[in-house]
Amino acid sequence: MSTILDLHTHSEASEDSRAPVEAYLNWIKLRQAERPIDGIVLTEHRQFNRDADYRHLEDKFGTLVLRASEVETTYGHMLVFGVNDDMVARFDFADVRLDAQILIDEVARMGGIVVPCHPGRPNIGLYEHYQSRPPLQNVVAVEALNGGSRKGEDERSAELIAKHGFAATGGSDSHLVSLIGLCATKFSAYIKTIDDLVRELKTGNYEPVDFRPRRKTVPHAVAMETR
Amino acid sequence: MNSFEEINIGDTLGPLELFVSKDQCRAYARTMGMGEGAGRFTDDEAARKEGLPGMIIPGNMSLGLLSKLVTDWIGSSNAWLTRMSTTYRVPVQPDHTVTIHGFITNKNPEDRTAEIDVWMENEESERLVTGTATVEFRK
Repeated sequence: MSTILDLHTHSEASEDSRAPVEAYLNWIKLRQAERPIDGIVLTEHRQFNRDADYRHLEDKFGTLVLRASEVETTYGHMLVFGVNDDMVARFDFADVRLDAQILIDEVARMGGIVVPCHPGRPNIGLYEHYQSRPPLQNVVAVEALNGGSRKGEDERSAELIAKHGFAATGGSDSHLVSLIGLCATKFSAYIKTIDDLVRELKTGNYEPVDFRPRRKTVPHAVAMETR
Repeated sequence: MNSFEEINIGDTLGPLELFVSKDQCRAYARTMGMGEGAGRFTDDEAARKEGLPGMIIPGNMSLGLLSKLVTDWIGSSNAWLTRMSTTYRVPVQPDHTVTIHGFITNKNPEDRTAEIDVWMENEESERLVTGTATVEFRK
């Protein structure tokens, strides 16, 4: 039995999102035919809320809600899955210059996994850092598809994945309710808990899936200047 | 637009396609009293000196275009736009066609409000400005 999860989402707990978790789950129910995802992972910016409990919403909508974090490192933004008390004690998640290599190694040692996100994005993606600095060790997977990518960003991510042999994930990076589930990750295994997710992410046995609508391109118009 | 009772989560606003010219951009900057420091909104060369690809549309103008989608939808109904927030992801360049999309994402019967996602895309469907709005309906 396979599982499709949106691995990168932001709720109103992130400062730049106004999306309530309940509204996300309602939208997933509404758009199930177009975006057939089984669950979401909340990856709030620079924080991890260990006390958040979404079980009543999971029961109400039949959609899995897991929690992780998006942190900022010396090699760009990264998703941390399997956050536990040891990691919270070891790292200041609010630090915007976390040492990427230490984070990757320490999180792995403590039972989690770090996945660099939107690696093709300028300034905050792995691709640009790899142009001028040595590659990181022990990276298992990176986010291949990001719902907020601009033209060329997913292509740069694909280039990086091909070159380094990373496993590939997908996530919407949604900050708006209606953008949830645009990109996701399909696992061949059944996933019900964060431990299941971390275990599967380490295997590389999954693929990114793209549910973004294909819109017709709007022709470029030409204006006459009257300055 | 319909009454509060008739709208539903998932309903679409727009899309609204708009061509914004450089002249309109300059006119907006002048009208808003943007002075000497507003070269990026009026002149390609001045914008390039700041590292921009060319003239860009003022953020408040983008906000106005996004709110137009909502206020056009409200029309003459007994409702009003009470809140709007925006995130500026990518500079918006004039002399391009932008498309503005909206969706109703939540309905609160207690205060008779609707939450709406809005965003502006360029010709390549890249999201340039995103936002949310609240519309309150009178009984």
